[in-house]
Amino acid sequence: MLKGIIVLLVFQFLGECIAKFFELLVPGPVIGMVLLLFFLLIRKGSFISLDNAVALHLRYLPLLFIPAAMGIITQIDIITKEFWAIFIALFFGTLIALVFAAKFMDFLTSRVNKDEL
Amino acid sequence: MNYEALTNYISSTPLTWLIITLAAFKLGIIIYEKFNKHTLLQPIIIAYVIILSLIVYTNTSFEKYFKSVEIIHFFLGPATVALALPLYKNLKYIKSLFLPIVLTLFIAGVFSIVIAISLLYIFGAHLPTILSMTTKSITAPIAIITSEQIGAIPSLAVGFVLITGIVGALFGTIVFKIFKVKYETSKGFALGLVSHGIGTARAIEISEKAAAFAALAMGLSGIFTAIFLPMVITFFK
Repeated sequence: MLKGIIVLLVFQFLGECIAKFFELLVPGPVIGMVLLLFFLLIRKGSFISLDNAVALHLRYLPLLFIPAAMGIITQIDIITKEFWAIFIALFFGTLIALVFAAKFMDFLTSRVNKDEL
Repeated sequence: MNYEALTNYISSTPLTWLIITLAAFKLGIIIYEKFNKHTLLQPIIIAYVIILSLIVYTNTSFEKYFKSVEIIHFFLGPATVALALPLYKNLKYIKSLFLPIVLTLFIAGVFSIVIAISLLYIFGAHLPTILSMTTKSITAPIAIITSEQIGAIPSLAVGFVLITGIVGALFGTIVFKIFKVKYETSKGFALGLVSHGIGTARAIEISEKAAAFAALAMGLSGIFTAIFLPMVITFFK
């Protein structure tokens, strides 16, 4: 698994270096993710050590958000002041977006299917 | 026996909060599994409540807590890179519906951000909240690093991401029924696009293909949001 962990760290490192050097606004780890995706596409597959390292990182993924998430205690002010705006945006915004995305994709899919007939 | 030395150690070592954080999350997993993985009982929500209560009760500052558990935060980087593998495995589905996937990804992806921030604006929210809302539909690790990039508040961003995931997972299938969504692939893609990982977990209950499309949507929207959002925001600033 060590090889897999090294691969993940090296791709993150490369991503961060590219972001710094080219002054990109994209976060380094995301560039690393895209690089790894291309690496896998070129290599036409993963290997066990990488599979294990990925599983290790993604199995407890939500755990990794906890440190950042706890910063919420410093934002109580914003949350109480803008509670209803936040509530409406999160609740209705999410439902409207879900319906829009699903219906839009449905529409496009039936058009593609019609063309094939 | 040196009582003072002991309390000094307990209050200064990072181990204390590290153990509490890991144990709270483990407890979250146990409770989540006991209640048949109910969406509202996400392990992180349970951990959230436990840790937050302890932080408030012990009067610990966020800075001190964060420093103690910074090692956990560090792993967001490699975990983001790791997301390439599930995306790679689901990338083969892109060929089957290439145009619907690409158009929905961009148009519905932008729509999802615009509708949320418009609602915030109409109801009088301020800029930090609006910025933190822009990453609400992408997977949390990418949302955290992107929100840091655009000058939003990462903790608000994570909170918004989690609630967006839960709302989508709880009500997604109901609204799909009301609005007569036809294809499983559309349902899955919409769930992954809007409600990221939590939506993807829900899509598994629709079908395996829906889950694959959800994972595909989640991976692609994470990448494209992280690429374009910082550019758009610097342009407007």
